[in-house]
Amino acid sequence: MNPNPEIKVKFVDLGAQYKILKDEIIKKFDEISSKGAYILTDELKKFEKNFADYCKVKYAIGVGNGTDALFLSLRALGIRQGDEVITAPNSFIATAGAIVAAGAKPVFVDVKDDYNINPDLIKQAITPKTKAIIPVHLTGRPADMDTILIIARKHGLYVIEDAAQAIGARYKGKRVGSLGSTGCFSLHPLKNLHVHGDGGIITTNNKELYEKLLKLRNHGLKNRDECDFWGYNSRLDSIQAAIGNIKLEYLGDWNKRHREIAVMYRKNLSGVVTVPVDKEFEEPVYHNFIIQGDKRDELQKYLLERGIETKIHYPIPIHLQEAASSLGYKERDFLVCEAQAKRILSLPIYPELTDGQVNMVIKAIKSFYSNKNIKMSKK
Amino acid sequence: MSVKHSFLPQQYDETAKPSINHNYLKEQFADYKKIFKEIEKLVQKCDFTLGRPVEEFEKNIAKLTGAKYVIGVGSGTDALFLSLKALGIGEGDEVITTPYTFHATIGAIVAAGARPVFVDINEDYNINPELIEQAITAKTKAILPVHWSGLCCNMDKIMAIAKKHGLYVVEDACHTINAKYKNKSPGTFGTTGCFSLHPLKNLNAWGDGGFVVTNSKDVHDKLVLLRNHGLINRDECVLHAYNSRLDSIQAIVANHLFKKIEHITNSRIRNARFFDQELAKIPEITVSKRDPAIKQVFHIYVIRAKDRDKLQQYLIQNDIDAKVHYPIPMHLQPAAKAKKWKYKKGDFPVAEAICKSVLSLPVHEFITREQQKYVVKKIKEFYNESKSRD
Repeated sequence: MNPNPEIKVKFVDLGAQYKILKDEIIKKFDEISSKGAYILTDELKKFEKNFADYCKVKYAIGVGNGTDALFLSLRALGIRQGDEVITAPNSFIATAGAIVAAGAKPVFVDVKDDYNINPDLIKQAITPKTKAIIPVHLTGRPADMDTILIIARKHGLYVIEDAAQAIGARYKGKRVGSLGSTGCFSLHPLKNLHVHGDGGIITTNNKELYEKLLKLRNHGLKNRDECDFWGYNSRLDSIQAAIGNIKLEYLGDWNKRHREIAVMYRKNLSGVVTVPVDKEFEEPVYHNFIIQGDKRDELQKYLLERGIETKIHYPIPIHLQEAASSLGYKERDFLVCEAQAKRILSLPIYPELTDGQVNMVIKAIKSFYSNKNIKMSKK
Repeated sequence: MSVKHSFLPQQYDETAKPSINHNYLKEQFADYKKIFKEIEKLVQKCDFTLGRPVEEFEKNIAKLTGAKYVIGVGSGTDALFLSLKALGIGEGDEVITTPYTFHATIGAIVAAGARPVFVDINEDYNINPELIEQAITAKTKAILPVHWSGLCCNMDKIMAIAKKHGLYVVEDACHTINAKYKNKSPGTFGTTGCFSLHPLKNLNAWGDGGFVVTNSKDVHDKLVLLRNHGLINRDECVLHAYNSRLDSIQAIVANHLFKKIEHITNSRIRNARFFDQELAKIPEITVSKRDPAIKQVFHIYVIRAKDRDKLQQYLIQNDIDAKVHYPIPMHLQPAAKAKKWKYKKGDFPVAEAICKSVLSLPVHEFITREQQKYVVKKIKEFYNESKSRD
């Protein structure tokens, strides 16, 4: 066994994208550096306008990162100490972190086969303290928003979309981020639309929320000298907004390529492993393409030995993290999520990935499972 | 050479087009192409989050300040907030600080869940240590002195009080990179020192950034968790925390400028000295006394002026970017009223008087002696003209 295999298919390859955009990015940096303005500038306003137009919402607010997008949304909606917020236990830890940071308690609800919150289980998790639902559009596939919104309306709850992984995805023709009170996006380097460091953006159609968020992200200032309420410092840097503006132009093509690769994986791997199948209501963007299979850890090792990087998003559900110990959850509380955590594997998927590389991944997975030493267990 | 001010939202848009500016970033980054080269390397390695440049930056600052540990974070505000959180300060606790500061100092205390308790300042714009003890209650957990304008507070006295009452000291050192108090760096007296890399700071980046310095390993370990979701590795989270990381590309910019920190600091000190000499001759202007045992780095150069508002207007009309840091003290902000802390006008007479008379003049490294002379001339002119009007 080769301990340091040559990587032929990286899990991410941002250098490849940079080579294509380098001239545009350098030109933009040059322009910004020549002006010497870096915080809350016209470049950011332009990105906010472009982003709002893209999501078909009225307003967008650039913030420090995706976590802050969630935290500031909760704050803007007045959610605080003593409140409960319903969400999924299989998200990145930041979803729960933002709820706790706002002073509220995360209440988890199990997920479905698409890795998204199961709307049928939400109702039983609602208490008099519940103030909001945060569905996570995990892997770039929208949660079942109509069902969630109906429950929310009935119980007078806010819906905050965690769309960190789903920029551009559509639910019944509508972009994610346009369905809840706010939509929260991350522009972290690993996202489909990303900048060169931490960044995030919030979408909303509500003018009041928009105005609150503008102040919340900038110390609560209504002008240079007067502070309406004590706020935070969470602003999307202008140089990052400039990169966002450049990349937004390409996002449609990139997401299309994500879907193409997903189709290739699905076509060739169904029957070998469990592959995601698009639901009728969605147009996903496959930020991650997650398969499920037996002997997942062995498969991952096998692929790495053949120069293919894969990841697990995520091996430990949030309710079983040490951080969550005070919330009182235990193993077997969320059976679907826990079973998935043991079987899931994320395959490389990004626009610069070639068909050849995709086929290399497919071939290696097939060969792993056709190996007579690996016995498929009955599902 | 007029540069339009567009740093912060509305504030600079309203002013005229001053040519003697507080904003010098265009000049400062005239050699930005070197920075691009570094950024390009970073992008190719995908080393964006808590990468090698951040480690290098943290080492640079440890060397400069003599602190054992440095933790790069998202902003100066977050440096304060995360420090308070790392020390377990929250709901029900009180933190003693100054009403004469930028809003972020108070915002960070409130964000942590604690309540700021204000203490008036001295003529040097810093918290008055003589008034601290009477503000201490059973709920007090920390003193948060702000080293205003690049001048360290009286740390001997503050540390003695903190020790006597068992309080933490969190230093707001956002204005004092490379300053010294009796040969020791600000930020290294208290449990933590909090710095900002905002584009307007003496050591800056191309966006928001900040860092915390500390000599405590425990506090360091806690801060490393707090800034990055409480993760001890990719998959395991031991406490629910925050996302507040110094971007690698901002660390590259800061590392680049770090090489020039002595030049930046010395230019400011030299320019301040010139203003000190010349402006002391104008009876309507008050210049602070300088203590030779304290290295003041003049993040802002502050004078007190008779008819301040009119003088500011006059200077702006003459292309001099005079600013007020700040006209409204924290205890009289609408945000303080909304919190029902029951502060009122007259509670902190020194701070309130200072807010009415302070004016900041540009002293950064790109200001020339000629420009400084022009500023002095215009100030004299203003008072001469107003005398002849009287």
